[in-house]
Amino acid sequence: LPICPNGSVNCQLSLGELFERAVKLSHYIHLLSTEIFNEFDERYAQGRDFIARAVNGCHTASLTTPEDKEQAQQTHHEDLLNLILGVLRSWNDPLIHLASEVQRIKEAPDTILWKAVEIEEKNKRLLEGIQKIIGRFHSGEIGNEVYSQWEGLPSLQLADEDSRLFAFYTLLHCFRRDSNKIDSYLRLLKCRLIHNNNC
Amino acid sequence: PPEKPTIIKCRSPEKETFTCWWKPGSDGGHPTNYTLLYSKEGEQQIYECPDYRTAGPNSCYFDKKHTSFWTIYNITVRATNEMGSNVSDPRYVDVTYIVQPDPPVNVTLELKKPINRKTYLVLTWSPPPLADIRSGWLTLEYELRLKPEEGEEWETVFVGQQTQYKMFSLNPGKKYIIQIHCKADHYGLWSEWSPEYYIEIPTDFRVRDM
Repeated sequence: LPICPNGSVNCQLSLGELFERAVKLSHYIHLLSTEIFNEFDERYAQGRDFIARAVNGCHTASLTTPEDKEQAQQTHHEDLLNLILGVLRSWNDPLIHLASEVQRIKEAPDTILWKAVEIEEKNKRLLEGIQKIIGRFHSGEIGNEVYSQWEGLPSLQLADEDSRLFAFYTLLHCFRRDSNKIDSYLRLLKCRLIHNNNC
Repeated sequence: PPEKPTIIKCRSPEKETFTCWWKPGSDGGHPTNYTLLYSKEGEQQIYECPDYRTAGPNSCYFDKKHTSFWTIYNITVRATNEMGSNVSDPRYVDVTYIVQPDPPVNVTLELKKPINRKTYLVLTWSPPPLADIRSGWLTLEYELRLKPEEGEEWETVFVGQQTQYKMFSLNPGKKYIIQIHCKADHYGLWSEWSPEYYIEIPTDFRVRDM
């Protein structure tokens, strides 16, 4: 029986339930991001040394986020949630274009195509979920969090194949990283706020 | 000059610190010194290994203070002696993806014989001590394997994040070997298998009970 059956009024998921769903979703998104990255890497990146060129290539690098456990643990939960929201929002636009542009990659397997579409959709869902969680902490305006603009669409449409594939590689590499970051922060927050740091 | 060394492995046992190991090349019999150098994504500066000792010979240990996640380390090792020097190929490392925990510990096996219900074997274990599960920083998933003592084929069972497992389908009079390993859920590498644990299923344990 769904916790909030349709039509029920004033029925609110508990914060614990919201976090449970957010962690499940972020876990799934990271799993997809790892699979799509590995599949792309195996099929299109072997021997091209893209990783060496991908260093400093993430559009979200400008967002200052905790880089280790201590930093994350010392970050107030509202700040961490806003950071998560900022990273998620930074990926809205690129994931939309990834899902459409990936169709144009030569002999792109269906598994890469549907994962790109699935990731875009799930990332939007997670963003909505995080907004709900933030809303539980303060009723203030949501949406003024810092996020990073992506200007990479032209590089996904380059005529030169190597450059175009490198652009896709960088995007998938950066998304895998950021989805792992979001997943790690959400688990920390869930254990901190819901399980009193005793997961 | 010495042959160029090879960085053979980098590993983080608990997603908080990490270590890299290298294999020296031939040094022509000349005393040769090894220097590990690294730079981090987004920074121009080049650093030297913070600790050559803790993890033993031909290694560099990065403690918490020197370990960052979601950032690429560009790591090389230079071999130098009186004849000259040579540098390894670079190794690009994101510590997030080199997590390989230690095996689970405190493994217990217990046969349970409830009245009027099936007899079964209960396995329990604990996460490796270094892994901080409580804060949520690291989430582990487990897999166990078992086989009859004289058997060849392991039966592998993925048990997710739980630290207990009940087994019902064991043959009376048989002795079984059981091992468990773990990994960070959905990334990183499986740990080594735990030591082998043995359990003998009593013969008075009639098939009907199963």
